[in-house]
Amino acid sequence: MKLAVVVQRYGADINGGAELHARYIAERLARHATVEVVTTCARDYVTWKNELPAGVDQVNGVSVRRFPVSHERNTNDFGRRSHRVFEKTHSVADELDWLESEGPASPALVNYVEKIANDVDFVILFSYRYYHAWHLARRLPNKAVLVPTAERDATIGLSIFGPIFRGVRALMYNSPEERAMIQAASANDAVPGVVVGVGSDVPERTEPERFRRKFRMGRPFAIYIGRIDENKGCGELFSHFQRYASAFPRGMDLVLIGSAIMDIPKHPRIHHLGFLDDRDKFDALAASDLLIMPSYFESLSMVALEAWALGRPVLANGRCDVLKGQCIRSNAGLYYENYEEFVESLYSLESNGPLNGRLGRNGREFFKRHYAWPVIERKYLDMFEQLKRGLPAEQDLPATAGSYSEKGVASGFSRKIESLPGFFARRRRNLPPSEESVARIPSGAVVDTRKSA
Amino acid sequence: MSDFSVRSDNVDVEQIMRQIRSRIREKRGVDYTEEEIRELANVKLEKFIDPKGVRSNLLEEYRRVSTPEPPAPNYAFGEDTLYETHRGAIKWIRSMLRPFLKLLFNPNPLIQALHIQSQLNQKAAERTARREQLDALHYEVIHNLVVELTRTGVEVKSLKMRLESMASRLDFDERRARALEGVVQYRPGAVPPLQVPSGQEQQRRQDNRRDQQPRRDQSPRPQNVQAGQPQPGQPQAGQEANALDNDGNERRARRRRRRGRRRGGSEDRGPRVEGRGPEGDAAVAGPEQPEDRTSDLGARSSNQTVESAPAPTESPSAASEPPSE
Repeated sequence: MKLAVVVQRYGADINGGAELHARYIAERLARHATVEVVTTCARDYVTWKNELPAGVDQVNGVSVRRFPVSHERNTNDFGRRSHRVFEKTHSVADELDWLESEGPASPALVNYVEKIANDVDFVILFSYRYYHAWHLARRLPNKAVLVPTAERDATIGLSIFGPIFRGVRALMYNSPEERAMIQAASANDAVPGVVVGVGSDVPERTEPERFRRKFRMGRPFAIYIGRIDENKGCGELFSHFQRYASAFPRGMDLVLIGSAIMDIPKHPRIHHLGFLDDRDKFDALAASDLLIMPSYFESLSMVALEAWALGRPVLANGRCDVLKGQCIRSNAGLYYENYEEFVESLYSLESNGPLNGRLGRNGREFFKRHYAWPVIERKYLDMFEQLKRGLPAEQDLPATAGSYSEKGVASGFSRKIESLPGFFARRRRNLPPSEESVARIPSGAVVDTRKSA
Repeated sequence: MSDFSVRSDNVDVEQIMRQIRSRIREKRGVDYTEEEIRELANVKLEKFIDPKGVRSNLLEEYRRVSTPEPPAPNYAFGEDTLYETHRGAIKWIRSMLRPFLKLLFNPNPLIQALHIQSQLNQKAAERTARREQLDALHYEVIHNLVVELTRTGVEVKSLKMRLESMASRLDFDERRARALEGVVQYRPGAVPPLQVPSGQEQQRRQDNRRDQQPRRDQSPRPQNVQAGQPQPGQPQAGQEANALDNDGNERRARRRRRRGRRRGGSEDRGPRVEGRGPEGDAAVAGPEQPEDRTSDLGARSSNQTVESAPAPTESPSAASEPPSE
């Protein structure tokens, strides 16, 4: 089996959520198939500046082919277009301009993948919101397996992505909440999809004492791992924790791991250790009492999965449907929506050892059951097998196959993408602001896991 | 703070969160949302508590707004006011024509009304002047009240926070103590710790352990009590002592007796160590008590010897004394 993995950035030192996800999947699937990763020369997800050399490279034994980005992102232009499509009545042309402005625009990449499409069984596209995924899903609907990594933000409400979700061969969701959201936004229930997520390379053994000695952490602590950013909910976390620290002078400390792009309050019980390598990170996680995930928007929190893999409970932001749903389904974490719930939950996890231990054990079992690598690999391979078996010959297609209903759901196995509106219709500004569209999508954690298997 | 007992392998996160939320509701009294509470707090701060809400130049502002206007010009209206003039000739003509005017109309009611109005105007002006002086005083009072209320509100808020902090600390300590107690398991057959026990808890455990052993001093005890009963003048006290034992304080009484015996064994005090009489109380609660505790290990090490020894003969007077506790 031959697979092409297409992602916006790729590299051993690129640790963005979707990019790391793509790398893990590519490396794992390389054990079962011939995998080629197709990506851009960009390293920075804000500017898409070409920093890596174009051409073929090897990353951890996987072949990687990079293509230059045709133009860097103009942040002012992108901001203006985002404001137009997210908050104003707009047109399809506005959305297409927004997509072009967002980038990473690489026509060479798209053309290359289209050219090799006949030689590969499937093209795995990561991150629906970017240029490459949209164009390749439209050009190769029969080969495209989309890993949307969608969050509940305004992008999901744009009209140009509905046909993508309805037109690809299959979707590999990260969580039941993500699937419910995409199905509600695009009515793509007929498209094969499975909740997969991603595993993690959690070490077999950790040395929490080594971490404590190295960083002189003598007190019990909660840990946050990730980019320290207002958009990740860190501002609220700091506010809550400072109030907690004043109420509980002998409570636990807060350790932050990750690069900071916001000011961290100077507090004797908040320790920022910066970016750490994997060994230190996992040792820190093992030494901690719990992981705090304050993010409002997540399609899948890999850090939470790593914490569960190490038997640590999670305290998550309950306003993030995905995190809340994972806590409920795993019975391995508590969640908060305001300060009172934050402090009560944190204190419960801190002071109640049996509860902490039981949640941690639940997390470990949850990780093994759903996110261990053999499980993930099996889900991907099963999906590929299912798609292969289900693909009929072109002449065997039923009469309705290939012609799309108004909702854009194919009734057969071969798929065609819905065509874009005509020249004038495309420019008619009659689409509602995408934020309004997103607000109409039902929210909440998916507790019933019967569909998520 | 919420306290969850994990009794089985199954925990339900949703159930725990429901408990947490119900606990929060109990604390709040009313199930306000966070936004509602913030709104209430902001209103309160703005209207009452925030010291910045009281303008420092409020007095001047008030005085500026309520600056007393110059009193309205009043007039004096008498009987001849209608005909007055500074020109003598005109005045003379008017006086000549006054009867003719009175023939045409009656000016007297008009003169009286205007006279009364003049007096009323004067009284109103005086009253207004007095009210303005009072308003200034009222403002001073209100201003001081607002300042004091602000200060009190801030203090109340501070005290509330301190109280909450202390309650949290207390709760934390209780939880931690409970957790530690849960970690340390009592095993009846376990070997006692090697270190010297010094706390009351260890003393109690040792006593409990001894209580579980067959007691040889239980059989003579009724005899002692019986011996104490015939004493004239003191049967009530003896019965009280028995009633005390029957009421569940038997263990405490035994402990005292044992402690007394131990002290008696070492100091050869005899029946006095029963602790029932005043001397016994003094021996238990007096300055010898620390020595008794520190020498507890020795007493325990010879525990078997003490308990296997024949029960000491208790004096009737000591047994019949009322308990000190």
